[in-house]
Amino acid sequence: MAATRAESRAPEIFATMEYGPAPESHACALAWLDTQDRCLGHYVSGKWLKPENRKSVPCQDPVTGEGLASCLQAQAEDVAAAVEAARAALESWSGLPGASRAKHLTRLAKMIQKHQRLLWTLESLVTGRAVREVRDRDVPLAQQLLQYHAVQAHIQEEALAGWEPMGVIGLILPPTFSFLEMMWRICPALAVGCTVVVLAPPASLTPLLLAQLAGELGQFPGILNVLSGPAALALALAAQPGVQKVAFCGAIEEGRALRRLLAGTGPELGLALGTESLMLLTDAADVDSAVEGVVDAAWSDRSPGGLRLLIQESVWDEAMRRLQARMARLRVGRGLDGAVDMGARGAAARELAQRYEQEALSQGAQVFQAGDVPLDSPFFPPTLVSELPPSSPCAQAEVPWPLVLASPFRTAKEALAVANGTPRGGGASVWSERLGQALELGYGLRVGTVWINAHGLRDPAVPAGGCKESGSSWHGGLDGLYEYLRPPGTPPRRPCHSQDLNYDTFGLAVPSALPAGPETGPSPAPPYGLFVGGRFQAPGARSSRPIRDAQGNLHGYVAEGGAKDIRVAVEAAHQAAPGWVGQSPGARAALLWALAAALECREPALASRLQRHGVQPKAAQAEVELSVRRLRAWGARAQAQSHSLQVAELRGPVLRLREPLGVLAIVCPDECPLLAFVSLLAPALAHGNTVVVVPSETCPIPALEVCQDMASSLPAGLVNVVTGDRDHLTRCLALHQDVQALWYFGSAQGSQFAEWASAGNLKPVWAKGGCPQAWDQEAGGAGPELELRAARTKALWLPMGD
Amino acid sequence: MSPRNPGTELDLSWISKVQVNQPAVLRRAQQIQARRTVKKEWQAAWLLKAVTFIDLTTLSGDDTYSNIQRLCYKAKYPIRKDLLEALNMHDKGITTAAVCVYPARVCDAVKALQVASCHIPVASVATGFPAGQTHLKTRLEEIKLAVEDGAMEIDVVINRTLVLTGQWEGSDFIKTSTGKETVNATFPVAIVMLRAIRDFFWKTGNKVGFKPAGGIRSAKDSLAWLSLIKEELGDEWLKPELFRIGASALLSDIERQIYHHVTGRYAAYHDLPMC
Repeated sequence: MAATRAESRAPEIFATMEYGPAPESHACALAWLDTQDRCLGHYVSGKWLKPENRKSVPCQDPVTGEGLASCLQAQAEDVAAAVEAARAALESWSGLPGASRAKHLTRLAKMIQKHQRLLWTLESLVTGRAVREVRDRDVPLAQQLLQYHAVQAHIQEEALAGWEPMGVIGLILPPTFSFLEMMWRICPALAVGCTVVVLAPPASLTPLLLAQLAGELGQFPGILNVLSGPAALALALAAQPGVQKVAFCGAIEEGRALRRLLAGTGPELGLALGTESLMLLTDAADVDSAVEGVVDAAWSDRSPGGLRLLIQESVWDEAMRRLQARMARLRVGRGLDGAVDMGARGAAARELAQRYEQEALSQGAQVFQAGDVPLDSPFFPPTLVSELPPSSPCAQAEVPWPLVLASPFRTAKEALAVANGTPRGGGASVWSERLGQALELGYGLRVGTVWINAHGLRDPAVPAGGCKESGSSWHGGLDGLYEYLRPPGTPPRRPCHSQDLNYDTFGLAVPSALPAGPETGPSPAPPYGLFVGGRFQAPGARSSRPIRDAQGNLHGYVAEGGAKDIRVAVEAAHQAAPGWVGQSPGARAALLWALAAALECREPALASRLQRHGVQPKAAQAEVELSVRRLRAWGARAQAQSHSLQVAELRGPVLRLREPLGVLAIVCPDECPLLAFVSLLAPALAHGNTVVVVPSETCPIPALEVCQDMASSLPAGLVNVVTGDRDHLTRCLALHQDVQALWYFGSAQGSQFAEWASAGNLKPVWAKGGCPQAWDQEAGGAGPELELRAARTKALWLPMGD
Repeated sequence: MSPRNPGTELDLSWISKVQVNQPAVLRRAQQIQARRTVKKEWQAAWLLKAVTFIDLTTLSGDDTYSNIQRLCYKAKYPIRKDLLEALNMHDKGITTAAVCVYPARVCDAVKALQVASCHIPVASVATGFPAGQTHLKTRLEEIKLAVEDGAMEIDVVINRTLVLTGQWEGSDFIKTSTGKETVNATFPVAIVMLRAIRDFFWKTGNKVGFKPAGGIRSAKDSLAWLSLIKEELGDEWLKPELFRIGASALLSDIERQIYHHVTGRYAAYHDLPMC
């Protein structure tokens, strides 16, 4: 009933036309907490687990500070119990036909639909995000994710033939933001037949609720287990037998630390890091719409992080005026109010924003803040930072929520240089009504996702991920499924971690080589030197290493490569990169085929080199022939790369582009010295990468033979082959900040080092932990895994309209 | 009405520089309806505000004095008095902004309003409404006659042939459409028009008014329009001099919502007077 006449505030509101409170009741969230007596444990194998003697962390309303519940913090034995549950469930779950898994996922989608109010009020209550965003976007997307992945599970046997589920997946979630981060990852993992243990941050409740909803479906309770506990449990999680992959999303520095911590522990590590996104606003843009894009990107509770905004100088004033006018209309308040744009995200997020603001001010920036923000509050206003000197520390650092860092650019070319000049590579949008310019920028950006004239669109069918320090793991689409698959017959990943490995000294020293008797190799010997920049060059250290044949006789000397040679080789590869990327797939194929033909001519010489290393004559000939075939096969596969996707709620295509990684370092195994070399080289080249290869340490001669042909048939710098001490060269490559990816097929210790050292620029590392690969088999030597790892995906959104 | 738009030199470079990205505008239109909501007393007050923006309209071939008279009476007393009293809004002089009729019915409307001793302006559609495809001479004559009959405001149908060939006209108020098209007042179109109004204001300091017409039937719709104006142009545009809603059925839905707010019950059809 309405208020009586005297109390009516209608006249006042009529005069001011203000917005009033529009509270959303969260009674059902509190009632759910009451079912657990406001004390939440872990949800393991379909049951609540509340072990004794655990520390508990309070979960507070981020706005009022009111205690909502306490959460028990997991310890290592709880992790063990959860992994055990997931392992026990794995056999039956992965053994199901895809269609049955599809049914189960569909049931979970329906379960979420039935309890959506509970889900959105709990999520908004605990995270402080605007309930409208959770209700209208996150919850429907969660259901779409389950449905999409149910379809993928249904067609798995056909569509993903040649792959099998990895096993138990450990997922580590960041302390803030949406439960969607969990959905994006558990859906594909469950769909392909993996089971999951989620380590949710302390006092994050929605993952527990989701686990309960999944558990109450009755069947397969152990497929999704959720623990709450500190991220420090990551090592305990990774060390559990059976855990095949750890997926982490969170802050960049935490990811880096985790990469170092988990080096050599066995599970593959998938990193999705950072929250900043990027926007290029050109003078051909619909500036008002772009301003709405900025709101979506930073000031709407839609995005987890801040925005780096590059504005073309000629529209700078216009864009800033519109931005500031728009900011004045933003409303900040309690997330459970239906009419706010931004909620509060807790003390940590607020402090981060405050610190950035203070530092930016002290470094000379202008800060503009506006909006309807309650004063007495844990809220942080929408903030626009400009005039920050480009070289100041703040300009380099990641921009946190809810800040926008605006800086000008003059030309599109300069915009690309600035945008690609950050170490991050997550999502970016390009605003231009000129099709040619928009595509040029879209293709040129080194990021995981590009939206043309939109920002932050998501769809289950579109892969989202990143490159550089944003990590190289993917969610959504096919790429999201591959994250949890491996080729059949791959041995389970086992720990090869060695406590004794000294990262400071591994591969640091190069053994000195002395004259070792007369050379007995055939003549003509391949030219002496490192194959760098298209020709054979003397090594920087001016020393050599002896190569012995199967009988232990001195076969000959090869150059002893060192740090300086790696530097020169990487530079040469970078110089060759633009030319090679610019080649059409057809031209790349032609060059690979030319190389194959040259190899064919050299077959007798190559076969005899292999025989000297103990390979039987027939096997040697087969190895050469297979190498030739591999070159031809990858040349042919260079043709079909990208494809377009059709998604809901978007008119226009989304292109799934496959782009080169950049400079790819390949450290070859000792076995199959020719075949492994070619099998790794060919897909790398076919996908447009330029490479630095370390050939077999014990038998580098066949690779050098091939270099002779490459000298005449391939562009200079495309392939660089550096012989020498594998550990030393691996050290140089793994620590190199400008090498974009590393494939390592050496020892277990070397794998551990490569993983550890890759934390520097977070390059993706493919290291087999010393396990041999079946190079002569199709799966091992030419399988889809090579194709997957030889390029990175970029999703390019192209909305259309007149 | 607000002071006349004195106009400005026609600078076609303004128009050629305008960029509109349709999918982005569609997204904004979707968001704007979801991002703001008003509840309880705020909703009631906002709905009453919406009433004061309504150009209460009848544009039928069979309009006669009797239904025009009924319309005018409803324009003066848009909401039942007891409902207004409950909200303490009975002394705020809440009427619709105008009544809007065909030129031939302007006389009827003026007379009916005089009888009710009501000072609401009469607006008339003119100039070959709704197609505008008549000669300039008859169009001007039509305006003259309507004004002579007492019309205070004229909704002019611009010559769209000129617009589509890039020859523009200026105005004090812009209207989404005649209300007689297959597609009338939609949010995406409105967003583009409102942004143009704002740009013109920023460039010249002149405020141009805005009138969506056609298809706005529910109280909820009207709230969304109000928040659209508030968000894109600001509170200063939330007055009848700068914002109108052309509607006929909207008023009765608003009255029903007010009834519900005041009494806590849903109204029967006969509980509220028709217009």
